[in-house]
Amino acid sequence: MSAIRRDMREVMRDEMIMRDRIIAVIQEEPKTVPEIAEAIGAPNHETVCWVMAMRRYGMIEEVGRPDVDGYFKYEYKEPEEETHA
Amino acid sequence: MSDKNNLDYDVMVVGAGTAGMEASLSLGDMGYKVLLVEKQPSIGGRTILLSKVFPTLDCASCISTPKMASSAHHPNITLMTYSEVDGITKNADGSFHVNLHKKPTYVDQVTCTGCGQCATACTVPLPDEYNYNMIARRAAHIPFPQAVPKKAVISRGGQAPCMHTCPAGVKPSGFVSLVRAGKYEEGFKLHLADAPLVGSLSRACYAPCEGECTRDEMEGSVNIRAIKRFMVDWYYERHPEPDYGPVENQLDTKVAVIGSGPGGLTAAFHLAKQGHQVTVFEAEAHAGGMLRHGMPAYRMPNELLDRDIKNITALGVEIRTNTRVESIASLKEQGFDAVFTGVGNQNPRIIPITGNNLADVTDCMKFLKETNVGDELPDIEGKDFVVLGGGNVAFDVARAAVRMGTKSVSIVCLEAKDKMPAHGFEVREAEEEGVRLYTGVSSKRIFKGDSGKSILEVLNVASIEFDDKGRTTGFTTAEGTEQQIPADVVVMAVGLSPSTLPFENELELNGNKTIKTDDQTLQTSDPMVFAGGDAVLGPSIICEAMGQGRKAAFYIDRFLKKEPLDVPFDSDLEVADKKAIVACSGKCSCIKPTAIREHEPKKRIQSFEPYEETMTEDEARASANRCLGCGECSQCQECVNACPANCINFNMKTDRMEMTVGSVIVSTGYEILDPAGKELMGYGKYPNVISGPQMDRLLAPTRPYNGVLRPSDGKEPESIAIVLCNGSRDHTVCNPLCCRIGCMYSAKHAQLVMGALPLADVTIYYIDIRAFGKGYDEFYEQSKGMGVQYTKGKVARIEEIEGGNLRVHYEDMEGEGGIQTAEHDMVVLTVGFLPNLESLKLYKGGEVETDPFAYIREPDATAQPGRTNIAGLFAAGTVIGARDIPDTVLHACASSAQAAGYIEKLRKA
Repeated sequence: MSAIRRDMREVMRDEMIMRDRIIAVIQEEPKTVPEIAEAIGAPNHETVCWVMAMRRYGMIEEVGRPDVDGYFKYEYKEPEEETHA
Repeated sequence: MSDKNNLDYDVMVVGAGTAGMEASLSLGDMGYKVLLVEKQPSIGGRTILLSKVFPTLDCASCISTPKMASSAHHPNITLMTYSEVDGITKNADGSFHVNLHKKPTYVDQVTCTGCGQCATACTVPLPDEYNYNMIARRAAHIPFPQAVPKKAVISRGGQAPCMHTCPAGVKPSGFVSLVRAGKYEEGFKLHLADAPLVGSLSRACYAPCEGECTRDEMEGSVNIRAIKRFMVDWYYERHPEPDYGPVENQLDTKVAVIGSGPGGLTAAFHLAKQGHQVTVFEAEAHAGGMLRHGMPAYRMPNELLDRDIKNITALGVEIRTNTRVESIASLKEQGFDAVFTGVGNQNPRIIPITGNNLADVTDCMKFLKETNVGDELPDIEGKDFVVLGGGNVAFDVARAAVRMGTKSVSIVCLEAKDKMPAHGFEVREAEEEGVRLYTGVSSKRIFKGDSGKSILEVLNVASIEFDDKGRTTGFTTAEGTEQQIPADVVVMAVGLSPSTLPFENELELNGNKTIKTDDQTLQTSDPMVFAGGDAVLGPSIICEAMGQGRKAAFYIDRFLKKEPLDVPFDSDLEVADKKAIVACSGKCSCIKPTAIREHEPKKRIQSFEPYEETMTEDEARASANRCLGCGECSQCQECVNACPANCINFNMKTDRMEMTVGSVIVSTGYEILDPAGKELMGYGKYPNVISGPQMDRLLAPTRPYNGVLRPSDGKEPESIAIVLCNGSRDHTVCNPLCCRIGCMYSAKHAQLVMGALPLADVTIYYIDIRAFGKGYDEFYEQSKGMGVQYTKGKVARIEEIEGGNLRVHYEDMEGEGGIQTAEHDMVVLTVGFLPNLESLKLYKGGEVETDPFAYIREPDATAQPGRTNIAGLFAAGTVIGARDIPDTVLHACASSAQAAGYIEKLRKA
């Protein structure tokens, strides 16, 4: 069963402090959302929110196809070098 | 007066979705001049957010983007995005008068390249409305990848109350947001740009920002000052010296600053940043003013102040200590082009007491100066020490005395305890440290007791009067209420007056000896002299003095550059609505403020060491994360630093305008019913219950996730249920209308899901299928042929079971009949549409008639589609009722033809 759903804005704000923890968790090897959630001690559905926002802004990316249970693994993505002057 | 022959535009089209774009293009192609107004930052409406369209399964982007580009670039169409119509009235000649405004995007729409680097750098996550809140966007954002125009916009919901209230002009919401994101150096530099004495403020500011923090309306304000303290300690530990020098563009202009208190140092900093040659004159041996001489080291460590002052001197500011300025004229003789005087408020007030020669009577400034910078501490060990006064300075004196081995320390003041001018925490902490309070009493005399010791005799105050600022204006005493207080030393802390005496013949002063200045510019009676801080305000707090220094520097810079001074200094952005923020934060977790660790009172009175501990990194970030983000954009300025084209401009303002147009087409679309209102369906409660529009986003090429994944855990669903008619044909939500597209877009979802997830099972729960349009029935049959399970049955309830899966309870109308249940990984609710009631408010010249369901009524829909009851005002698309895309396009064409006809009649009349 899902944990009680917190205020959406509050969950999204948490991304700014959770992303360092998430990066620390996936830096050594890619992990699925439930694996990341367990490692950082957060609910799965909130972890989805943070992982997808981090993916959107280029901090992490999925690896290949989902596993047999239907979960993608996500890995840390090195920041791209800025091209502008 | 309007002139139908001199129209600004032939037609104004309100709303640039599918209908608005189509109507505009039709009219533009006919040669009419069209103004297309869209309230969102991009045109395209809801169609551009779709995955594909039924029944052809054409890509929604592929059919929308050419229309969007044509609308934006058509020679006869003027596009105004992020703009809203405030009102439309009809002129006597049949044309229309329009009031509208363009909202500030805070990004230069000409120079923005749409690179998105501002969004990547932004530290403020907000729900992304373009993805129906399935993912976070940033306050700085481009609405979606195919946006037209593809330009960034910054969401601002007003000025954060903390920022709005800070007299120093600091952006607390900004550095708090940066600390939350782990960007401590950026946070420090953001603060430094506004106020250079960052360390001093982190220790000694009374933090009015915390008093205005919206979170204070909930469990307690964000610990803004403590967060700043962490940030400062982190930065200074790594940067014992400033990492910058004087600005490159040095000017020849010379500015003298009198006084090196917080106001003077801040003015010097901002003037030096502009390239002026700044010299600060300080009468004392050390720079810092009240920060140095008036604040005990347990609150304001000298080393920290020294490091703060380096932030100013690094810019090339010269500080001449032991140099008292005797006159403004002397500075003019030295060639200074402008003067800032921040001489402060350091002249103590002495009240006569009978017998004051019988004790060691002194004033607060003398005592504090000796304590803070004297060669030796005052000799008060073992003595009974009394402070007269109830303000913060009195408590500084008393708490300093407690740390010097006194026998007893007492505070004597006129006010009752709850009326004392000192801050509540000062009173609490002083009492914890053993200071005894005699409140509501007046000093009568000092005399020698039987033992030969000095005694201060006090009387109870019978009545006391205050002015509107809470200052005591008069009192009476009650005879016969005498009390005796041992008093070897008596320190008077009963008020300070401005140190403006040397300038009284050169500058106009007020009755209380403060310097008279222009309220806006802080310019004095001598145009080249500006003043600020306590010398102007009277007793004030540090951040107020710093704010005055900054403001004066702004106008001194303009004065020296011979620019007009009648320009505003402060932002005119309104403060965010705290009540509204609290109201929408009702579901936020209750998180108490982090308790600041302090030494035990017994330990802290052993020395002048700071007794408050700095937060840990985790505490600081967690505390910062309590910020509710009142202003949306936090003003962290990361976008400014990241933008390669320098196009962020926070000075943008709303642009209001009026126009005359020949005709108006309203194409403001529809609203989507929020399925959270149907509680039994579990939307908003169970993560895996999503709405139809959300499913469209998951299936779109610009999807929020990397595939069709469950919001509960990111898993690819194996079994998806689609439930039709949620809030359409539904009297429980007062919407009896069929949405007309639900059956078909559900079939589209089913087919696209089966393409994306070939192994997934899709079940559609329906009441009946309405496949009425061209190719619709074939599309429905195609879904069945692909293996979509159609179950005729009304879903009554959805519940979450183990693993985030969902159990659907439905009435089986075929098959076995009765109440049945089925388990699915994910449920999509096909939602109903609602009329856009905002569209009815546009016309102010009368009432736009509606049908019984509140859609705009067409009096003769068959013969004259698009016409409303107001001649010349037309409606296009779904604003008159739910319909699919082909019908919307067709209706928009009809409306544009009607509008063209009206204009022709107008021209000939």
